[in-house]
Amino acid sequence: MNCLEFRRHLGSEPGSQRKEFVAHREACPGCSAAQLRADAFESRLLHALQVAAPANLADRILLAQTTQLRRGDLSRRRRFAAFTLAAAASILIAVVAVNRSVQPVPPLSAMVIEHLQEHVVHADDLVDSLPPERVMEAFAERGVKLGSVPAGVDYVHKCPAGPYRTVHMVMPEAEGPVTVVYVVDAPPAPGSSFRSGRNFGREVRMEQGSLVMIGPSDRHFDAIALSWRDALGNAVAEHDSRETHDAFAGALPHLQTVIRPDGAAGSIACTTCR
Amino acid sequence: MKPVNAAMSSRQDQFEALVRGHSTDLYRYAYWLCGQEALAQDLVQDTFLRAWRALDRLREVSAVKAWLITILRREHARLFERKPMPSDDIDDLDLPDPQATPERSTEESRLRQAMASLEPKYREPLVLQVLGGFSCSEIAEQLGLGEAAVMTQLFRARQKLKGQLGLEDPLAEVSEL
Repeated sequence: MNCLEFRRHLGSEPGSQRKEFVAHREACPGCSAAQLRADAFESRLLHALQVAAPANLADRILLAQTTQLRRGDLSRRRRFAAFTLAAAASILIAVVAVNRSVQPVPPLSAMVIEHLQEHVVHADDLVDSLPPERVMEAFAERGVKLGSVPAGVDYVHKCPAGPYRTVHMVMPEAEGPVTVVYVVDAPPAPGSSFRSGRNFGREVRMEQGSLVMIGPSDRHFDAIALSWRDALGNAVAEHDSRETHDAFAGALPHLQTVIRPDGAAGSIACTTCR
Repeated sequence: MKPVNAAMSSRQDQFEALVRGHSTDLYRYAYWLCGQEALAQDLVQDTFLRAWRALDRLREVSAVKAWLITILRREHARLFERKPMPSDDIDDLDLPDPQATPERSTEESRLRQAMASLEPKYREPLVLQVLGGFSCSEIAEQLGLGEAAVMTQLFRARQKLKGQLGLEDPLAEVSEL
């Protein structure tokens, strides 16, 4: 180590005990004197840096620590209480929500669903916007004379659903076809919504009967119900021409279920109703 | 009679020893880091509170000072993230020193002023070395720098301080040899 290296090292680490540093200092009087001056400066610097700490600093810190500990205990207790309350509220909400979501399917709709499981409409059976006369004719055969027919009925058939006489229709919507079943002689009942598997359902009271709608979305149910309310509002009930349906007496024979290539359900129509 | 919770009691004892042993040094370091008495006190308190929570992670007693300084630097960095502060707002402390002669007091005051006016990159390693007694390699580790860079900063820090105080430059002295 030469003098320049020593002075550089002295400037960055005056208290260094590196061998070559100590050796040079002992050998070089100039650098030894520089070390003494540096030590004096370091001593002054250390003194200057030793600013006085606030009185009772340690006690203040310990007080803050014990206070925080107590607060922590208190807030933990509060958090636990809040958590318990929140958990209870969540359970209550969940119970209400579950009860709401598993609302039983109304009996009439249950019969309609049971019927639809057997009577799956085949894609080939759908006709883009059937002539209104076909729909009117189906209703007329059920004893209801429609004044008008809502647009967009692609399928119509007279079907039984339990003891009731129905007109089974399909109305295409953006999310998928909606099955619309008008139950001619259903007992008046308050409307209700329900879920059946992945499908949404709604049963609404309509004139003398009920309209059951089942589809992949309930977005269009209001509009469909409104259009049928209009159509049925102009209808003339012909109660005396009601026919008794015999399908309720037994199972529906010879059903042929067909699945469309795109996965949607379809079948030939319910043969007993033909 | 045994304490109700011996482990807790021993932990509290350890913490108290830590606070009583290091709070003054830590305060001084904090003061030279942030330049404000009240802020330095808050920093030290926050540091110890954090240290209390992490006390179980302290393995080597010999490394406790470095550990506390690391926590303090992080606390300080957090503070900067929340509220940026100018680095030149260190107010000159004119602290009474009963042993000081008027000349010495003036010299200290000048030294503190010079120290306060140093850029943080020079001031911080110098404080770590002079107050903390850390070696260049330890400072390099603390600051996340190379040892050579730390040595350069320390050399320049002293050069600047001496320059402000009108003291001789050791290298200039060598060139005259």
